Amino acid sequence: MSAASPQGPCYLFSSDTKTLKTTTTSQSSHFHKYKSVFPKCGLDQFRCELSSSFDNRWTVDCVTDNNPIHIILKPPSSMSMASSSTTLKQSKKVCLFYCAEMKALAERIASESDTIELRSITWRTFADGFPNLFISNAHGIRGQHVAFLASFSSPGVIFEQLSVIYALPKLFVSSFTLVLPFFPTGTSERMEEEGDVATAFTLARILSNVPISRGGPTSLVVFDIHALQERFYFGDNVLPCFESGVPLLKNRLQQLPDSDNISIAFPDDGAWKRFHKQLQHFPTIVCNKVREGDQRIVRLKEGDPKGRHVVIVDDLVQSGGTLIECQKMLAKHGAAKISAYVTHGIFPNRSWERFEHDTKGCPENGFNYFWITDSCPLTVKEVKNRQPFEVLSLASSIAATLHI
Amino acid sequence: MSIQAKKKQVLLFYCLESEDLARKIASQSELIHLQSINWRSFDDGFPNLFINNAHEIRGEHVAFLASFSSPGVIFEQLSVIFALPRLFVASFTLVLPFFPTGSFERMEEEGDVATAFTMARILSNIPISRGGPTSLVIYDIHALQERFYFGDHVLPCFETGIPLLKQRLHQLSDSDNIVVAFPDDGAWKRFHKQLDHFPMVVCAKVREGDQRIVRLKEGNPAGCHVVIVDDLVQSGGTLIECQKVLAAHGATKVSAYVTHAVFPNRSWGRFIHKNCENSERAFAYFWITDSCPRTVKAIANEAPFEVLSLAGSIADALQI
Repeated sequence: MSAASPQGPCYLFSSDTKTLKTTTTSQSSHFHKYKSVFPKCGLDQFRCELSSSFDNRWTVDCVTDNNPIHIILKPPSSMSMASSSTTLKQSKKVCLFYCAEMKALAERIASESDTIELRSITWRTFADGFPNLFISNAHGIRGQHVAFLASFSSPGVIFEQLSVIYALPKLFVSSFTLVLPFFPTGTSERMEEEGDVATAFTLARILSNVPISRGGPTSLVVFDIHALQERFYFGDNVLPCFESGVPLLKNRLQQLPDSDNISIAFPDDGAWKRFHKQLQHFPTIVCNKVREGDQRIVRLKEGDPKGRHVVIVDDLVQSGGTLIECQKMLAKHGAAKISAYVTHGIFPNRSWERFEHDTKGCPENGFNYFWITDSCPLTVKEVKNRQPFEVLSLASSIAATLHI
Repeated sequence: MSIQAKKKQVLLFYCLESEDLARKIASQSELIHLQSINWRSFDDGFPNLFINNAHEIRGEHVAFLASFSSPGVIFEQLSVIFALPRLFVASFTLVLPFFPTGSFERMEEEGDVATAFTMARILSNIPISRGGPTSLVIYDIHALQERFYFGDHVLPCFETGIPLLKQRLHQLSDSDNIVVAFPDDGAWKRFHKQLDHFPMVVCAKVREGDQRIVRLKEGNPAGCHVVIVDDLVQSGGTLIECQKVLAAHGATKVSAYVTHAVFPNRSWGRFIHKNCENSERAFAYFWITDSCPRTVKAIANEAPFEVLSLAGSIADALQI
């Protein structure tokens, strides 16, 4: 139910317990005491009792008075969620397992919602290097919705996680969701000549073979998959659910003091195809790589960066070479400030080291901000307190998808 | 194994660590031709692979010699294994001499993760080719029930290294004084039928308080050259305990045979004669096959180890 209160309402309605979880707005520490009434049909008025959880971090805005379930959750500034409405019949309790390298993100996800509970796995190895795994309290997950947060940061860690992924659905769970924020190999998804081995196909095939559970096919949550066609690589036992980190970026951009001077740049047509629809209210710049003799040079194709704070947007970064070339080209064309956003900060071999911070208005020397998400946890560990990097967490977005 | 069937030409691809065995297999028969793959990696660690002459393998019988010596090498080989059958080959055979994880194939408690099931499931998902299901050749799989872990798109073909052992034993000067010993009932179940013309000894691990001790269960090793037979060896602890018990019961010589020399952390070192005093040279011979290429390379036929190659057996299996 929505409540119109002059201070800005902050109620989260949970339909099964019929209580409201309270948050304070960041501006005010008032608590409004009401008694709770649960109307059976959509009445326009209600009163509610606030429980006393002092969670200072959240702000919640009610959107409409008509649809009682339409409430926008706005997590704290660095952890914004997609500006989509969340249905609040989501009292679906979820048991969340996770691989070791994703522990930090798993904890953030669990803190987003009372209904998400962390579970543990014992990850050991036999002397021969093969995994020796044990799922704690396996009986306790029967009849529960279960999810696994995976991270395939290198080929070596795939087999142990796969063993858990193949085992969990068969433990009489009521549904199984695999959250794999970054789908690696995504760039090797084409056979340009016979003999090319498209490893994205291998990975999709392995994941398509997850056993079905009582809840039917496994939901597979992936953020900003590299090639949109990859959704068709998956078989029928898996329901791919493709999400994006761009809403986090949009939220972050709105908080910047120069948010009205932002232009979005795409380093190539591929990035434009992937993202322009989500960013269409910003002025757009498109780059491309043009062949000059033996070399390939980045050129401006459309748009004008002059005087603007240009944010280069792409799904992932590897060596960073493309971003740096775009940066130099945009600076030459008069950009006032340059930032970058990628969902997946792969940065092999510490290539993030080449990204300097610019504070003096010299965009050719560095970036104002470099946003990445926490899809690649090993990178996050390295860059999280290092300018110009800022990590936007996928936690709330993932928490929302777990309730689908 | 002699099958009087029509012989077929086979194009054999292989993973890097199995190159030596692949060459030996190809030298067994004019009909087997080695092919090559470019094995590279991208900076992010993921494989960048290219199958050479992919057009020429159309309509041919193709095989891949794999070795999953550690979890890290599985993904790159799997990418090739999933790709080859779809290149219009006439048939596809996967030769995986050693099936790892095989000893972790039971759920004793809810929560155990049977990684053998994961491995079998991954292999069962190999695309079928024009030749139908993929033939999957494995030597001395740890648990006989594991044949049922595989789905319908693969045809498991379970082979054994024991014939190589029998051949070798016949060459020994004391071949008429040999007794075969099994370290436990599992090994006896797996192998006794193939070795039933030898006298047999069976050991067992018995619980004494907190400890588990190897004891003689059946048979008499006194005065004989005893050969302990098992499918694989890890640390070697079990074999050493058996050897002590057999020697205590009067065995004049003790040797060992395992198909798969897993030997994690170089645990084969404790058997090498060079490293031991004369009195500690417990094993006269230690026969292994070349199913685990990394170990075989490291051991390099140092006494008492002798490598019995699976090449001939694999070359025959490729003709099935």
